[in-house]
Amino acid sequence: MLEVRGISKQFGGLRAVNDVHLSIGKGEIVGLIGPNGAGKTTLFNCIAGAFPPTQGQVLLEGRNITGLKAHQVCRAGLARTYQIVKPFGGLSVLDNVVVGAINQTHNIAEARRIAEEALVLTGLANRRDVPAASLPLPGRKRLEISRALATRPKVLLLDEVMAGLNPSEVEKAIVLIEAIRAHGISILIIEHLMRVITAVSDRIVVMNHGSKLAEGQPAEVLKDKTVIQAYLGEDFGAHG
Amino acid sequence: MTLTSLLAPYWPTRKGLLLSLAMVAVLVALPLIAADSYTLHFVWKVLFWALAAAAWNIAGGYAGQFSLGHAAFFGLGAYGSTLLYMHFGLSPWIGMFVGAGAAVAFATLIGALTLRLQGPFFALASIAFAEVLRIAIVNWRSFTGGAEGLSLPFDPSFANMMFSDRLWYVYIMMAALLIVLLITYVLERSWIGYALAAMRENEEAAEALGVDTVRAKLFSIGLSALLSAIAGTLYANYILLIEPSTVLSIGFSVEIALIAIIGGMGTPLGPILGAVLIVPLSEYLRAEFAGSLQGLYLLVYGALLIVMVIVMPLGLMSAIREPRTAARRLRGVFGGSSRRRPVREESRHA
Repeated sequence: MLEVRGISKQFGGLRAVNDVHLSIGKGEIVGLIGPNGAGKTTLFNCIAGAFPPTQGQVLLEGRNITGLKAHQVCRAGLARTYQIVKPFGGLSVLDNVVVGAINQTHNIAEARRIAEEALVLTGLANRRDVPAASLPLPGRKRLEISRALATRPKVLLLDEVMAGLNPSEVEKAIVLIEAIRAHGISILIIEHLMRVITAVSDRIVVMNHGSKLAEGQPAEVLKDKTVIQAYLGEDFGAHG
Repeated sequence: MTLTSLLAPYWPTRKGLLLSLAMVAVLVALPLIAADSYTLHFVWKVLFWALAAAAWNIAGGYAGQFSLGHAAFFGLGAYGSTLLYMHFGLSPWIGMFVGAGAAVAFATLIGALTLRLQGPFFALASIAFAEVLRIAIVNWRSFTGGAEGLSLPFDPSFANMMFSDRLWYVYIMMAALLIVLLITYVLERSWIGYALAAMRENEEAAEALGVDTVRAKLFSIGLSALLSAIAGTLYANYILLIEPSTVLSIGFSVEIALIAIIGGMGTPLGPILGAVLIVPLSEYLRAEFAGSLQGLYLLVYGALLIVMVIVMPLGLMSAIREPRTAARRLRGVFGGSSRRRPVREESRHA
């Protein structure tokens, strides 16, 4: 579904992402983890067209989408959420989601229907008429997902959608992610909560210092010595 | 897809339709009842500022392109039709659209050169472009009349867009305002309205949701410039004198924006409310303080504007929708309570 081939991103003297390869199949959930500053969000930005990669290619269903602008990538079928939520504060929750739906249809009645479907899926339907600015953080995270879903994506990039949520909210979010997968949408998810990553991911990719460190089944990868070292330092790797 | 379903979002409610028809009826009847020359001039003035502010509102209010250089587009309309009329005898009805074309071209140029500028930076750039145009027109004396401006010879006929009876001017202005209102109303409810609002609220998020923000920006500034230029032609053919120091000045740009802000940015009726409030207020103050210190009326005018912006940071429209919030803020200004929370600002920082 999504294939990332040798993506690198150079910011001046800093190589934030270095030759990363990964691929995601249809309906697959891939977890992307790594210590802070490993280049996860930069990789997201390269894939989603926030800025072009210095090297490498991104293919969506075999179509080369490298270097397309963000809105073109979105229309090609790849949506993303932001780690730091960006609601359209002055608009109602429903109108926020309608914005995602208008590139599916220019008919507003139809766009509203798509938006309402997305809100039902994310459990925000009862807040549809309140201004987005008045939503608390968990609601805003759900709003990010709702808007992305309304663009009818084939691939969804989720950037730390669970950060700042309490345990019961996290449980709900896990259920939501499973529900999204049930719609046949492939998901690449950045997450620091290991419990979440192991619960939802079919596969895990670990990044460190811009490069891919490990890849595989969640249970195996988390036992990998280099991964433990990257997270906890040399000492733990040596004894663990 | 049927035509009915396509039109459905734009179809007003029965109440809305009746209300608008009543408003139009009052507007049409008003000049007939009070047909003395001074009243007509006053009505024209209110309609004119409402039109200019409504045109600005499309870029500044709906799309968040906070321009303080709209005098440039207005001036291109005023100068365009007037120069074509005086030099080539072209009817202002046609010249109006040539001027509007020039304004759209200028707007596209400004838009393309300032794509990455947001908020106050865009506002500053728009002032700079308007100033460049003003200075160019002042210096191209042989063609544009330079700093003295152009005085249109009064030769009343429909083709010349000049009329002995002021009633004509009032109705033309009214028609133009209604057309702009209709455009705004349809725009607000269409997918384009959603794209513009998303861009205004958060450009990056809008782009990630599939909104082509480059196109949205150019479209909003272009349409706004086109309508501003038409207002410029209508102004020139009524006032019959256009000078760079008025129609191309920063003061003019600010006044246009101010009326829309006071009335309520990003609402169809905001600019009209703003004009209905601001034009009589400034006329009244000017007359009231005429005998005393020169310029004193400007001081009072300024003070009143400050109070209005504090009490109704989102404009008169929001104060009408939420009178309690406005009343609380009013008490805050005079009672010293500090519980003022402008809603939109909060959301921007969140």
